[in-house]
Amino acid sequence: MHIHQLVTRLAWGDAIGNQVRYLQSLLRSWGHTSEIYADSWDDACRDQVRPAKSYPREATRDSVLLVHHSFESRQVPLIARSRGRKLLVYHNITPARLFEGYDRGAALSCDTARVELLALRPHVDGAFAYSRFSAEELAAAGYPRVDVLPFAIDWNAFDTPPDPSLMAELDDGCSNILFVGRAVPSKYVDDVLRVFTAYQRLYQPKSRLLIAGNIHRDGPYGSFLHGLKDLLGPERIQFLGRVNAAQLSACFASATAYLSMSRHEGFGVPLLEAMYRDVPVVAYGAAAVPETMGGAGLTTFSREPMDVAQLLAVLERDSTLRQQVLAAQRARVAALSQQAVATQVRNTLLRWLGARDAGPAATPTPSEAPAIELVCPGFTSRPDAPMSRLARELHRRLPDSRILALRGRGEEPVLSLGPRTSEGASVWHFTPDQPVGPAPEPLPGSSSLETAVRASSGKVVLLGTDSGVSQALLGAVGRRGWGVRDAATVTDEAATEAARHHLGAQLLELDRSDLDAVANTLVQGLSSKRGARHARR
Amino acid sequence: MHAADLLTAEPTAQAVAAATERLPEPSAAARDQLRRTLAASLRAPVAGQWPALLLEARAKADVRYVEPATSHRPLVGPVLVFAKRTFRGAFQPFINEVLRRQVHFNEAILDALTVVIENQREHARTQALWRRELDARLKQLEKDPPGPSSR
Repeated sequence: MHIHQLVTRLAWGDAIGNQVRYLQSLLRSWGHTSEIYADSWDDACRDQVRPAKSYPREATRDSVLLVHHSFESRQVPLIARSRGRKLLVYHNITPARLFEGYDRGAALSCDTARVELLALRPHVDGAFAYSRFSAEELAAAGYPRVDVLPFAIDWNAFDTPPDPSLMAELDDGCSNILFVGRAVPSKYVDDVLRVFTAYQRLYQPKSRLLIAGNIHRDGPYGSFLHGLKDLLGPERIQFLGRVNAAQLSACFASATAYLSMSRHEGFGVPLLEAMYRDVPVVAYGAAAVPETMGGAGLTTFSREPMDVAQLLAVLERDSTLRQQVLAAQRARVAALSQQAVATQVRNTLLRWLGARDAGPAATPTPSEAPAIELVCPGFTSRPDAPMSRLARELHRRLPDSRILALRGRGEEPVLSLGPRTSEGASVWHFTPDQPVGPAPEPLPGSSSLETAVRASSGKVVLLGTDSGVSQALLGAVGRRGWGVRDAATVTDEAATEAARHHLGAQLLELDRSDLDAVANTLVQGLSSKRGARHARR
Repeated sequence: MHAADLLTAEPTAQAVAAATERLPEPSAAARDQLRRTLAASLRAPVAGQWPALLLEARAKADVRYVEPATSHRPLVGPVLVFAKRTFRGAFQPFINEVLRRQVHFNEAILDALTVVIENQREHARTQALWRRELDARLKQLEKDPPGPSSR
């Protein structure tokens, strides 16, 4: 069989590039013809890739194309006109809000990538994701058949001997805290710096922070990080930049702990790499991180630097606890052994390729969704909040509506999004991108909930315009959007300004003592075809 | 660290939380100082709008399309407008093709200028934070009673 892969850019050393190359080697070892097609590539990959524009010409009816999607690609027309079967492999897209204020271009590209995710839907026969977190978004986007593909990691690639000179430099008795990844805003390297500052000042003065990964010093985020380093003032912070395999091995070999405060990971290979190299992991439990950690290491829902610093201190001082953590991590890595995962990948792919309608059916698609979407992120986690009560009231009065809410803290993502009946209301639940914090902290965004609303054609009511979800949707809902603002909880004036700008007269103020008044106005407005002005007459 | 803020199977969240309780308690002064520094390091949210300096350039970046043709001349005007509109209608795809690279170049230049402007803003913001933090430390030093070495 001809099973090819399409990727926007084939890079050397990044997680997607490594995954694509490893999948190709697996496919070839199983006797399939497999090529990689890309729009652009690193020089080091020149011999491994073919230009994407040649795929429609080279594809046959029997070809299968695995389309890797993680960023703006502009490949939808090419995919649409190519012959053969196509399967989407979704790596997840970083939410645009994480780039805001630092990188306008990246933020726009992330938004476009999500538009492309919806545009790809009619052209692919099925969709894979590398985590249930990502699969949930595919189900929310209306992909009819979604499955989770095990992330095949080539563990042998991590067995490179450490660079002796770097090893000698780092092995000086200091406690080394390591982070590996590009210094981009979504990774929150600034929080890594804050946690390390707390750790060094409160618990271990003889410590060092190693940040291994490309850092764009002239970019706004790179400047911010260097300024922050001066401001916080801890000693021994090393921005190593891009490192080779031997230098990376030296970093892991000398590390006391691996620290990640990233706010978005579609999977998170470095977390497993640290586990494989016997370095205890402390990670903030955002996006797919808890799933990747699988109960091993220390996943925290707190992003308070002094709290997280305690975990680093405990791992360094309590040898029994450290050994327990390492044992759990080894068990986690053993469960993802190369052979076992390769077999799972093969079985999953064969199941899909064996029959046209293979793969589990996902939840009802947004095309079957009700006419009114009541977006109330805190409905389940803050059931007594005024917005939740208003959502219940609106749902009672508008039978063709559904409530979209965030899952509670620690709840695992599942492909069945809803409906779940809660106090007589049908509620659809979505995993938040970050753990839900205690009130009155604004509720976080949720890529899957936002995608469900974008995929729906119904009217949208944003209950609480200061939540991450509402802020992300303001620009996308246009004239079909209504919003309710609770002045008592709003702390961010910029959020209110954005809501006013996008919703205009369709933004209502909540009077906590008279929820019925807002409910009446909304019901009138939503029933009217002409919108807010007509509703208020 | 509270057990509710942890997600770990082995060791349990309770065991990890108990271990953090056993850590030596840092001094209140060290905690307060750290808290101040961390608070000073927080970055205020930045509005997502384009820098005002680039708004005009941005509006002119896409050179493929022009304002609809109009004319004030009473007789010749409508003919000219019709001719111009017909020309545009017929040749717009070719115009797009000829100017495509120019549009890409304009967008790339605008992106680069945005990065430069945002970088400058970031430097200014960091400098301001740093100055504020330095002032706070100096005030703290002035408030503290002089040590034995200064006598």
